[in-house]
Amino acid sequence: MPEIVQLFATCLVDSLFPEVGEATMEVVESAGYTVSFAADQTCCGQPAFNAGYWEEARRMAQHTIDVMSGTIGPIVIPSGSCTAMIRHSYKELFGDDPIWLPRARELAARIYELSEFLVDVAGVVDPGGSFHGMLAYHPSCHLARGLGVQKQPLALLRAVPGAQVTPLEQECCGFGGIFAVDHPEISAEMLERRLCAIEECGAEAVVGADVSCLMHMEGALRKSGSPVRCAHLAQVLAGRGIGLR
Amino acid sequence: MRRDFARRVRRAIANPTLQSALDHSAWRRVEARQEAFRSLPDADSLQAEARAIRMRTVAELEDYVQLFSRRLASNGIQVHRAASAEEACRLVISIARVHRAALIAKSKSMVSEEIGLNHALQAAGIEVVIVQLRGETPSHIISPAVHLRREDVAQTFQQALGMPYSTDVEAMTAFARRTLRGVFLSASIGLSGVNFGVAETGTLCIVTNEGNGRMVTSIPPVHIALMGVERIVPELEHLALMLQLLPRSATGQKLTSYVSLIQAPRRLGDLDGPDERHVILLDNGRFDLVGTPLEESLLCIRCGACLNACPVYREIGGHAYGSVYPGPIGSVLSPALFGVAEYGHLAKASTLCGACRDACPVQIDLPTLLLRTRVEYTRTVVQPQWLRVGLRLYTWIAERPDRYRSALRVAALISRLLPLRGNWIRALPPPFSAWTRFRHFPPFARRPFRARFTSRPPVTPRRGILPAPDGVPARNIAAATSAQDLFAQQLRGVGGELVPCQTGQLPDLISSRLGAARVDRLLAWGANEPLLAPTLERLRREGVTILEGEIPRGGGSLREASLNRLAEAQAGLTGALAGLADTGTLVLAAGENRSQLASLLPPIHLAVLPAGQIFASLQRWIVATKKEPVIGASAVSLISGPSRTADIEMTLTTGVHGPGRLIVFLVQDA
Repeated sequence: MPEIVQLFATCLVDSLFPEVGEATMEVVESAGYTVSFAADQTCCGQPAFNAGYWEEARRMAQHTIDVMSGTIGPIVIPSGSCTAMIRHSYKELFGDDPIWLPRARELAARIYELSEFLVDVAGVVDPGGSFHGMLAYHPSCHLARGLGVQKQPLALLRAVPGAQVTPLEQECCGFGGIFAVDHPEISAEMLERRLCAIEECGAEAVVGADVSCLMHMEGALRKSGSPVRCAHLAQVLAGRGIGLR
Repeated sequence: MRRDFARRVRRAIANPTLQSALDHSAWRRVEARQEAFRSLPDADSLQAEARAIRMRTVAELEDYVQLFSRRLASNGIQVHRAASAEEACRLVISIARVHRAALIAKSKSMVSEEIGLNHALQAAGIEVVIVQLRGETPSHIISPAVHLRREDVAQTFQQALGMPYSTDVEAMTAFARRTLRGVFLSASIGLSGVNFGVAETGTLCIVTNEGNGRMVTSIPPVHIALMGVERIVPELEHLALMLQLLPRSATGQKLTSYVSLIQAPRRLGDLDGPDERHVILLDNGRFDLVGTPLEESLLCIRCGACLNACPVYREIGGHAYGSVYPGPIGSVLSPALFGVAEYGHLAKASTLCGACRDACPVQIDLPTLLLRTRVEYTRTVVQPQWLRVGLRLYTWIAERPDRYRSALRVAALISRLLPLRGNWIRALPPPFSAWTRFRHFPPFARRPFRARFTSRPPVTPRRGILPAPDGVPARNIAAATSAQDLFAQQLRGVGGELVPCQTGQLPDLISSRLGAARVDRLLAWGANEPLLAPTLERLRREGVTILEGEIPRGGGSLREASLNRLAEAQAGLTGALAGLADTGTLVLAAGENRSQLASLLPPIHLAVLPAGQIFASLQRWIVATKKEPVIGASAVSLISGPSRTADIEMTLTTGVHGPGRLIVFLVQDA
């Protein structure tokens, strides 16, 4: 029996980018696993946590812990920031709570960001997929700095036949969740710098492992009329072409 | 406050001078720091050690403050504790009144900015001279003028000092040297900050590149040091560790040009130095943070690395924050010290990207502290309705899967009513219009992922052997064959000149160097230094006037006249207690017949260093000498190259307040 892997899709993938969820499934299945999806999952609570509404974040985290601890197998998440939320921030959120802190730790021990799972757990070296041309890789902050996942996505992308991969500098794209609405001018300036770097490297597409940053960049690329599009790592590995939607 | 911030942010982003100044310097500072850390083997574990030391100090802060105060007092330094900013200002003013001080020379101190000292002194009718001619606060903890281009500085110099307009950085620096020299020589009080206080020995450590920090702590008859109460390290060895991290993080230097280790006021037998030293230990809310979720912010050593690393700081500059402490650490400290209602909004001006945490030499988890501050802020200040209501509604939806499923359907329906372009939404209603001002937004999916998921049978696995991990690049550590070679290499690296020689050659070599520089007045250590005596005798015969540098005690015109006479010396000649190989540093101690000013006032400093006195590092020297030289002298100066600044557009200029040339005679047979 192939091992069962739980997919925690994240609220953004579920509601805005279901294609990324499908691609994630395909990639994990190709690595030889059976993918399961707990239908009651919703949001990990990160938006409220980052906004300083920890009481609300706790309620969403408790729901996530309840739902996911009722499942078996490793949990794969196609997002660096949601993985960091569950792995690191749940501990902050539950401080010294005698019931929820141990449960949060148990859950944290089971979760993996997608590229981390594929490379470190599944041992994938030939992930498949195809792309002809230049890809810029955006190392999202929570993935690269928060989780220390830096080599795995690059190793996978570089194994994609036909793809030339240029890693962008480790710099924030200016998304920051509610920050993008709270401080639109600062966010836009940071975004502009990111787009310049993308343009400079001459890539046809930007690949990353967090749809939040990718949506931020693709939204601006579209507004500016640029032909460059973004794609989640899973979409490239699944050979689904470029474009989040 | 929040509204003011938004206004300042818009102004900063629209200010082309500021933008180009920030663009010009920010990355270079980041790169300089990274480069400097490459020369430290095992930087991570040093940082972890430094963090542990700071944690220990902060956890037992009151005990360390008391120990530190006792040691300061037994060293003859007067200790004052100030609970508030007002109290600290009153203390400075009362000391100034006792000494009838009309002029205070001040070096940059963030604590003095924090307590608003300049304003308080001016209100009390005391003139303060600092390098702040624009009447604005520094925009950066380390580099106060980082927000200016050279043209702005030139204009300020022209308007405030009457200097003919010139954008030549060297000309501006020379002008500043001439102008401020008079201030340093005639001020009745010198005021400085403190980078670290050492509890076990009662030592004050002050780092500076330009030399202003040395000037204000060694020339005026009274020295007042302002210090945040948390800036203590337990032992001298800990200080050596902090000094490996602070300059690297702040300016990308292995060590700043000058580090002063101040132990006491002028002692019997000293030629110079202040007759009186005061330390004002400022609390101003710091003790209240001990034991709270924000305690970690007290670990900060004010290096400014998080500012340079922060992409938000790099867009808006320091002044936009509206606090003396800007950037990531400022967005935690300002609300923590000065009130969450007034400054809490700063914590929201961050994407939590973590660049600050990576840059911090004491590993402060700044994103977490920013998040904790946000919690306090949302509890204290009523948040915009859309956020408050929106997040509560979202939570209410997300904790129940049935509600969540319905909400996804509603969101998809609403999506269809909004104006699209290329299938993405081009305009959202307020407040989300802030998003679509700069980007399009994807419409909610008609069929969310949960509706698409179907379990499928597994396919043939793609597995293989893990590729070998990328090779870690070898550290670029200079292959120094010996401590002496390393010293030579590092000294040259910081702009010092090295002359290896034998004892017998010293008179010839020094005389010819002085002749070439047309020196006829030399400020020198006394003739009782065996290594220097033959040289001084020779120079006297050649007609060079030798000044020994004794300054009359007390203030007044006698002292000023004597200082002015010393300032005419074209060169200074000193010995050196030790050399530190890893940073190319000279160690000089104050004492009988050892003028501290000989290495500070003249434009050229010549030092004679016995090769046998070279130690691997500051740490090794402290341990090898059992700390005796530090404890035994009223002040020890660590000198690494000539006085320098990179304040104006990061253009390196030497000879700011201290010597522009440093020549070390390395005596092989001594």
